[in-house]
Amino acid sequence: MTHQTRTDSYSPLKRMLLVSMIVIPFIPFLLVMASGGYFFYSSIENKTINNMKRIVEDHRQVIEFFLEERKTDLAWILNTYPVEQLSQADLLRNIIVHLQAKSPAFADIGLFDENGVHVAYWGPYQLSGKVYSDAPWFQKVMQDGWYISDVFLGFRKEPHFIIAVRKDDGNRKWVLRSTIDSHLFTDFVERVRIGKTGEAYILNKEGYFQTERRSGGRLMSRDPEHEKNPDFHTGIETFLQKNNAGDEYLYATAWLKSNEWLLVVREEKSEVFQSLRMASLLSLLILAAGGMLMVPLGFYVTGRIIQRMEKMESAKGLLEQQLIGASRLAELGEMAAGFAHEINNPLQIMKSEKALIDMVLTDMIKTDHIPESENLTTLMDSLSQIQLQINRCAKITQAILKFGRQGDPSPQIISLPEFIPEVTGMVEKKAAVEGIRIIRDVHEDSPKIYADPGQLQQVLLNLYNNAIDAMIEKNDPEGGFLRIQTRPDPAGAVEISVTDSGSGIRPENLKKIFSPFFTTKPVGKGTGLGLSVCYGIVQSMGGNLSVASREGEGTTFVVTLPAYKG
Amino acid sequence: MQKMTLMIVDDEERFLETTRKLLEKKGFQVVTAGNGSEAMKMLYSREVHVVILDVKMPGKDGNTILREIKQLFPLVEVIMLTGHATVDSAIDGLKSGAADYLTKPADIEELIRKAEDAYEKRLRQEEKIRLAQSKQIMKSPREILKDSTGEG
Repeated sequence: MTHQTRTDSYSPLKRMLLVSMIVIPFIPFLLVMASGGYFFYSSIENKTINNMKRIVEDHRQVIEFFLEERKTDLAWILNTYPVEQLSQADLLRNIIVHLQAKSPAFADIGLFDENGVHVAYWGPYQLSGKVYSDAPWFQKVMQDGWYISDVFLGFRKEPHFIIAVRKDDGNRKWVLRSTIDSHLFTDFVERVRIGKTGEAYILNKEGYFQTERRSGGRLMSRDPEHEKNPDFHTGIETFLQKNNAGDEYLYATAWLKSNEWLLVVREEKSEVFQSLRMASLLSLLILAAGGMLMVPLGFYVTGRIIQRMEKMESAKGLLEQQLIGASRLAELGEMAAGFAHEINNPLQIMKSEKALIDMVLTDMIKTDHIPESENLTTLMDSLSQIQLQINRCAKITQAILKFGRQGDPSPQIISLPEFIPEVTGMVEKKAAVEGIRIIRDVHEDSPKIYADPGQLQQVLLNLYNNAIDAMIEKNDPEGGFLRIQTRPDPAGAVEISVTDSGSGIRPENLKKIFSPFFTTKPVGKGTGLGLSVCYGIVQSMGGNLSVASREGEGTTFVVTLPAYKG
Repeated sequence: MQKMTLMIVDDEERFLETTRKLLEKKGFQVVTAGNGSEAMKMLYSREVHVVILDVKMPGKDGNTILREIKQLFPLVEVIMLTGHATVDSAIDGLKSGAADYLTKPADIEELIRKAEDAYEKRLRQEEKIRLAQSKQIMKSPREILKDSTGEG
C-alpha cells in the first residue's frame, strides 16, 4: 500500500522526465529536419527550374539559329545566282540537292516573280506556273523581305511550313521559297530529351502544334492544355500545370520566331522532383528511426532515474528511521533510568518490610504465639514469593539503569591478546561445568584498540553468557564449543567474533535482537537489555555489532572496532 | 566488644523506620536521619560507628555528605547506598573514603554483613591507633606529655 503510493507520487515526475527526454530532443531534431528540408527543397527546385530554363533557352537559340540559317541559305542562293539561272529547274535541283545535304528538312524550292507567279520549281509536286499574288505569305514576304509560315497543309496535304526571302533586282522583285518538312523539323525540335517524360514542342500564337508532341499531340491540332492562346511574355517563363489526366507538369516556355512560335519544354513534376521525393522519404525514415531510438531510450533513462531516486529515497528513509530509532532509544534509556531509579526506593522499602515481617513472624512462632498450621505454611510460602518477585523487579531496574546510564567511559589502549584471555577466564568455570569447550583464536599481532576496558568486558561477558545459555538451551550431549576469534579487518579495523554451537536465533528474531526489552529467555530470566546495551556500547566506541545465525546450528556475533593508530 | 551504633541516612521515612526496627531487633543501636544536616547534627550529638548513606537525596547529595563526614569524623565508616546500578557514584564514594557500597534494593542481611565488616575495620583502625599510641608512650613518654602540653 505504501509502496503503491510512493510509486504514484513519482508519476508526475516520470511524465515530466519522459516529455523532456522524448519531446524536447525531438524539437531541435524536427527543426533541423524542417529547415534542412526546406533549404534542400528550394535549392533543388531552383536548380531544376534553372536547368529547365537553360534547356529552353539553349533550345530556343538552336531553333532560332536553324530557322535563321535556312533563311540565310535561301537569301544566299537568291543573291548569288542570277535569276536566269534560278529559273532553270535543273539548277534548282542542284541547289536543293546541296541544301538537302546540309539540312534534309528542305523539301522543295521555288522562284516567284513580284506578281506571285511561280517562275520555277523543283520538288515532288508540279507547282510551277501557279500564281500566289493573293496568298498571305507572298504579301508578307513582299512587305517584310522574308517570311516563315506556320505549319499548314497547303496543296500537298502534308504538314509543312515555308521559308521565303525576297530580292530586289532593279525594278523587279524575286522571291525564293522553300518548304520545310514538318516531320523532320519535329524531329529536330524533339531532339531535346530530359529524363523519361521530358519533351519539347512548338505552339503557334493560337496554341496549335507546330511540331508533334511525343506524349500525344498531332501536328496542327490544338494543344488540349492550352485552350486559350498562350500569353505573351519576354524571356522564359516556368510554371506548373496539370493536364487533363491529372498529371502535373513543370513547364518552361520561350517565344521565338519574332514571337510567333512558343517553344514549350515540359517534364512531369514527379520526375523533375524525384530526387526531392527521395530526400523527403529518407528524411522521414531518419525521423522514424530517430524516434524509434529516442522513445525507448527516453523510457529507459527515465526508468533508471526514477529507480535511482526511489533507491535514494528509501535509503534516506532508512537513515531517518535509524536516526529516529537511535534518538528514541536514547530517550527511552533516559526515561527508563529515571523510572527504574524511582522504583528502587519503594522496592527497598518493600524488601525491608518483608524482612521485618519475616523476623516478627519467626519471633511469634518461636514464642508460640502462632501455632504451626497449614495456613502458616501458605503464608510463609507467599512471603518467600514476595521476596522472589522483589528480587526480580530489582534485577529489571538494575538492568534498565545499566542500559540508560552508561557513564563516562575512560578509554585506554587495549591489547587483545592479553585482554581476551582475561575476560574469557571469567566464564571458563561456568563453561566447564556445562561441558563446553572454549576455543581461543587470538592472533598475537592483532591490532591494538582504544576503548574502555570495563565496557568491552561487559560486552564480551554478555556475549559469552548468551552463548553459554544458548548451548545449555540446545542441550547438546557433546557440550558444544565457544570460539573467540580476532582478525584484522581490511578496512583498518579489528573483528572480534564470538561463535557458539548453540540453539541459534530464529530469522524473524534476528532483526529485533538488539532492541531493548526483546528477549526469548523464559520469564524472569532475561531482561532483554543485555544485547541492546552491548550494541550501544560498541556503537559509542565507533564500532559495530552484527549477528549471523542459523537456527539449531549456532550464532556468531561480530564486534568490529577501529584499530588504534598511535 | 562495644555494641555497634548504626546511622541510616535516607529521605524515605518508612525505610528509615522499618530498617531501624529490623536492626534493633538484631541487637544493633540505630539512629536515623532524613537528610545531610540532620545526619551531621546526630554525629555531633552522639557516637556513631557506621553510617549507611543514600547517595541520591534532595538537598545535599550523598557524596557531599560523605566528604563532610570524612573530614570531621575520619573514623566513622560510611557505606554508600546507591540506586544506580552503575557503580560510578559508588566508585566516587569509595575514592572519597567510603568503606563499601550497597545497591538498592539491598537485602537486610547484606546490609548487616557489610556494616559489620565496616565496624570491624573501624575497630581494627582504632586498635592500630591505640597500639601506635601505646608504643609512643613506651618509647618516649615525655614526648607524649610534651605533645599534650603543646595541644593543651
